Amino acid sequence: MLQAVGISKSYRSGTSEVQALKDVDLDIYAGEFLSLVGPSGCGKTTLLRIIDGLTPASGGSVVFDGMTQQGVSREMAFVFQDINLLPWRSVVENVEIGLEARGLGAVERRQRALETLRLVGLESVADRPPYTLSGGMQQRVGVARALAIQPKVLLMDEPFVHLDNFTRETLQIELSKLWQRLKLTIVFVTHDVDEAIFLSDRIALFRSAPGRIAEIATVDLPHPRWDYNVRADPRAIELREHIIDALQVRQSLLV
Amino acid sequence: MTARAAPAWWGNAGFLTSFVFLLAVWQLSGLVMNKIFISTPAAVVGAFVEILADGTLVSRFIDSALEMGVGVAIASVIGIGLGVLMGRSARVERAFEPILNFANATPTIALLPLMEIWFGLGSSARIAFIVIICVWTVLINTLTGIKNVRVGHRDVARAFGLNGIEATRKVYVPSAMPFILAGLRIALAQAAVGMILSGQEIGEFGLGGLTEEYATFYQTEHLIAAIIASTGLAMLAFAGLRLYQSRRQPWIAATAAGRR
Repeated sequence: MLQAVGISKSYRSGTSEVQALKDVDLDIYAGEFLSLVGPSGCGKTTLLRIIDGLTPASGGSVVFDGMTQQGVSREMAFVFQDINLLPWRSVVENVEIGLEARGLGAVERRQRALETLRLVGLESVADRPPYTLSGGMQQRVGVARALAIQPKVLLMDEPFVHLDNFTRETLQIELSKLWQRLKLTIVFVTHDVDEAIFLSDRIALFRSAPGRIAEIATVDLPHPRWDYNVRADPRAIELREHIIDALQVRQSLLV
Repeated sequence: MTARAAPAWWGNAGFLTSFVFLLAVWQLSGLVMNKIFISTPAAVVGAFVEILADGTLVSRFIDSALEMGVGVAIASVIGIGLGVLMGRSARVERAFEPILNFANATPTIALLPLMEIWFGLGSSARIAFIVIICVWTVLINTLTGIKNVRVGHRDVARAFGLNGIEATRKVYVPSAMPFILAGLRIALAQAAVGMILSGQEIGEFGLGGLTEEYATFYQTEHLIAAIIASTGLAMLAFAGLRLYQSRRQPWIAATAAGRR
């Protein structure tokens, strides 16, 4: 349903030309949870931004339902690493912003924003200013803001990286539940291998300099995964080893 | 536990002590110095009460406050409006930037006679001078604020499909508001200078005119009373702006505290 075809991205850094992505091809299937995993600076966030249209590619194209995409997609919604809630708006007003751009009336907007907030369990703080919420709650608002526009694809850029462990695991479970309940298609950037295994159907493994996809691993573990200890599952352990080898993490460690 | 912070009243007490000391020295200076130079606190208080009681101070204060208010309002509309346009459109910025640099480099006080020629010897010339003395600060701060809107906020505007005008109105201007208000704060101080100067030079009007009159007749105690009233007017304007900021932008203090 969504294809990245021959995506390249290079930019000038001082006098040298940096190749952030080189000839990346990626097929994303409807309803799947796909993670992009790799070391920092491998271009996974750049690819996610190119898919949404937030960053222009130097070469290649993004094809959505057979149509080559121009500009920022209206069918996809972005969840940012830094959350980026607007501090002058209340929680519910933050969730409404995408609906305002889509021309919904005030009443319908508010109603849909509140419904979406209920989905992430935050209806009760709708009128609070976002900076009074904890980090985990703020990112839930970030997810609600993206879900409110009822996107076909949810693009998530390391959304849980700034959260503490307990909150992160809670949100991972919540996200997994939302994904199954709403039958979403999710592209999820992370550098946390366990997080990727817990959430994903498939994991695209990146290598850097230039950024490219080395391999796509399939996560063959039964759902729902919050019912058992995924991390202790032998298949998960094996996959984890395989991913770490494929990412060449050990070789890159300086000893 | 051991190093306890000084209680709040201690800071106030320290200030009070130095203030009283200063007043005492000033009062005693009247014994040895000619009172024309700096008068004495007692005389100033007397003069203040006198011009307050006969209504002079109140009417002059209101005259000045109105002209300053109108001037700052016009400067805000022009400065914020043009600053936002320049910040959001490279074409507008290129068109106005040379003019802005030229105007900002011109010593504004030199333009006072020009305002007299353009607008006559009345209220419009004084207001025009107040506008021209502070509009550049508002404009430059607004432009800087718009250009420094957080990348994350810009991303939100684009990712959620806001068009140019919506993005400006709903994201860029509110995000730039701390810069804009910082500019307004400096602009208020400049406007106060403009208010006094134009009052002195054009038609001896308001508090500026009052200082001019008292100085002409060496009524130093009245002069100082009028100066204090002018300071009071400017401080009132600052306080109003601060109140607006704390009411409308409580997140600035909150997020600054959260950032380490």
